[in-house]
Amino acid sequence: MINTEGMVAETATKIFTDLCPREVPHQAEAGQYPQALWDALAENGLPLAWVSEANGGFGADYDETFGAIWASAQAASPVPFAETLIANWMLDRAGLEPADGSASFALSGRTPSADIPFGMHADKIVLYDAAHHEIGLFDNRVAVRSPEEALSPDGMTQFVFSGHVAEQSAKTDLSRRGFEALILTVRAVQMAAAMEAALNLSIDYVSQREQFGRPLSKFQAIQQQLAVAASECAAATMAATQAASAIARHADDPEQAWHEAVIAKVQIGHGVEAVTVPFHQVHGAMGYTQEYDLHHYTRRLWAWRDALGNEHLWSRRLGEEMSVTSPDQIWKGVTRGDWTGDKSLAS
Amino acid sequence: MQRFNFPVIQPDPALEELRGELQAFLKEERDAGNFEPEPECWMAAADPEFSKKVGKRGWIGLTWPSQYGGHDKSALERYIVTEETLRAGAPVAAHWIADRQHAPMLLAHGTEEQKLDILPRIAAGECYFAIGLSEPGAGSDLANVKTKAEKVSDGWKINGQKIWSSGAHIAHYMVALLRTSPADGRNRHVGLSQILIDLTLPGVTIKPIVDLSGDAHFNEVYFEDVIVPDDCLLGDEGGGWAQVTGELAMERSGPERFLSSYITLETAVGQLSGKMGSDSQARLGKLIASLRTLRGMSWAIANLLDRGVSPETEAALVKDLGNRLENDLTQQVRAMLTDLPSDEWSPEMRRILNIGVLRSPPNTLRGGTTEVMRGIIARQLGLR
Repeated sequence: MINTEGMVAETATKIFTDLCPREVPHQAEAGQYPQALWDALAENGLPLAWVSEANGGFGADYDETFGAIWASAQAASPVPFAETLIANWMLDRAGLEPADGSASFALSGRTPSADIPFGMHADKIVLYDAAHHEIGLFDNRVAVRSPEEALSPDGMTQFVFSGHVAEQSAKTDLSRRGFEALILTVRAVQMAAAMEAALNLSIDYVSQREQFGRPLSKFQAIQQQLAVAASECAAATMAATQAASAIARHADDPEQAWHEAVIAKVQIGHGVEAVTVPFHQVHGAMGYTQEYDLHHYTRRLWAWRDALGNEHLWSRRLGEEMSVTSPDQIWKGVTRGDWTGDKSLAS
Repeated sequence: MQRFNFPVIQPDPALEELRGELQAFLKEERDAGNFEPEPECWMAAADPEFSKKVGKRGWIGLTWPSQYGGHDKSALERYIVTEETLRAGAPVAAHWIADRQHAPMLLAHGTEEQKLDILPRIAAGECYFAIGLSEPGAGSDLANVKTKAEKVSDGWKINGQKIWSSGAHIAHYMVALLRTSPADGRNRHVGLSQILIDLTLPGVTIKPIVDLSGDAHFNEVYFEDVIVPDDCLLGDEGGGWAQVTGELAMERSGPERFLSSYITLETAVGQLSGKMGSDSQARLGKLIASLRTLRGMSWAIANLLDRGVSPETEAALVKDLGNRLENDLTQQVRAMLTDLPSDEWSPEMRRILNIGVLRSPPNTLRGGTTEVMRGIIARQLGLR
């Protein structure tokens, strides 16, 4: 279970409940950005949750903040809340102050271009340049809209480099794996939350929709499909919670949470097809319409599973590392989450 | 509000000493040639001599009070023992069922005399139990059991037949779900009771059933005017249905629901060390992610059970996901092994893989079929 108690999680949950009812994601797609929602989050300092007090944030518990992320994804909130949290955390890890306004991020360094989630609504972009161990803050006005169809309702833009100068930059001592661990974990929590929200929609729909004189929910074929999807949702929540717990335990050295974060990425990424197929199937054509809510979740799931590379890439990355370790080490990982030979749990 | 309750429980360093002892014992036994590892060892690999050794080490009956031969330990210690024996593919089938479900049942419902007589023998690895649920006409539709127990002057008289009773041919007792009074109209859940049956009594006939691989580990058990004393009724007369469903929920989330074929993966990883192509690496990564996730779910439930919470739906989820994973694991390993010419596979790899394939069908049947598990989940979702 993702922790949804505590001030950060509860404040966020209330804001999303009050200011992000089901019309809001629809309106956002029609071009009406929910500024009031973003303003409420910002006024309560929520995007600064993972910024240390020294850098002007409030160094909140990781655990509680994952509860806020869970709430944002369950509301299909069309503002870059999770992205800003991550971007500000990246700045903090380089000793820089948080971004003024909303922000998004990429780990691609100074490659010719970087894909930026929520690119059209983020004021700033934070880039990690692994080759130079450097974090840079850029203005996002120079981002260009991606020419291809974006999977996600949140949009994806490309930041194309041509002599841009960072507004601020600094060295960071955190490795690429450390950044990956947190970003993958945030996405995992969002995905598990979106899966559960889409499951709830599906259950409601099949309970109301009647064919052959009875609700769809009374057909065994429907029950069995949704039961399978529900077990994938439960597994997703477990994997996300395990990763979130590892991040919380290794707040100072998130690289230690890398394996648990990658496992969540792989488990949940593979789970997307296992849930979105039955969810759309039981909804019939209704689920394929823009008018209905299901796509707010399924499109985000399709986009998020691709973020930082898809589940196939990460399965291979994990397997590549595990294939050269010992069967004992794999067993320690599976049973105790010890992937690198923690002496305190040695057996 | 989240639908599923799976708390993250950190490993307990206090349990690691026990794990180390287990690993050392299992390695010693295997190195001495006392067993060859097998997939599905908890159902199909019975060796009374091995069970006695496990009993002597104090690893059966971990959670029971010491006056009944137990060791006053927690369910989490038992979990460590079960997962390590599964990983090793050790021949633990003889005592597994008695340790897992019948001893707790006797502790809850048995007489003092039964507890003092039977439990210490189970803990010593000398006394085995068979499950008496299925009948020819009662599979997934368990409430359709027809085997009867009639009240007679000196106890209960039993007539009928049980089927698919694993290990009944070496077991000393069976706990059977029997009809002790007629169904109440359409409500067939009333009038069922659980009765302890000594399998050496006159009138009991046990006939082995040979499985598709040639093994004979399950049986038909016939009862013809078998008389058991009054105190063999376990729990309430007519309360058998609730007792059985509670018992099934407890046994559905253990490590045997997702680790039965782990030995196949471990053997393959050893074989393919340094030789895995990128396709196999991707398969390995995905399997590890699934195993780690299910271990988290199963361990969470063990902790909830230890605190007295019985999460029936979560247990059904683990069984459904876990059984699918066990069978998928065997198939993924087949694909991974294409990185090595088959004439370079070790004889052990070949043996384990073939056993794994042959023993895969019952995974999704025993302890409640996949369809029944999904029905339980669907009910919890509000669909039934």
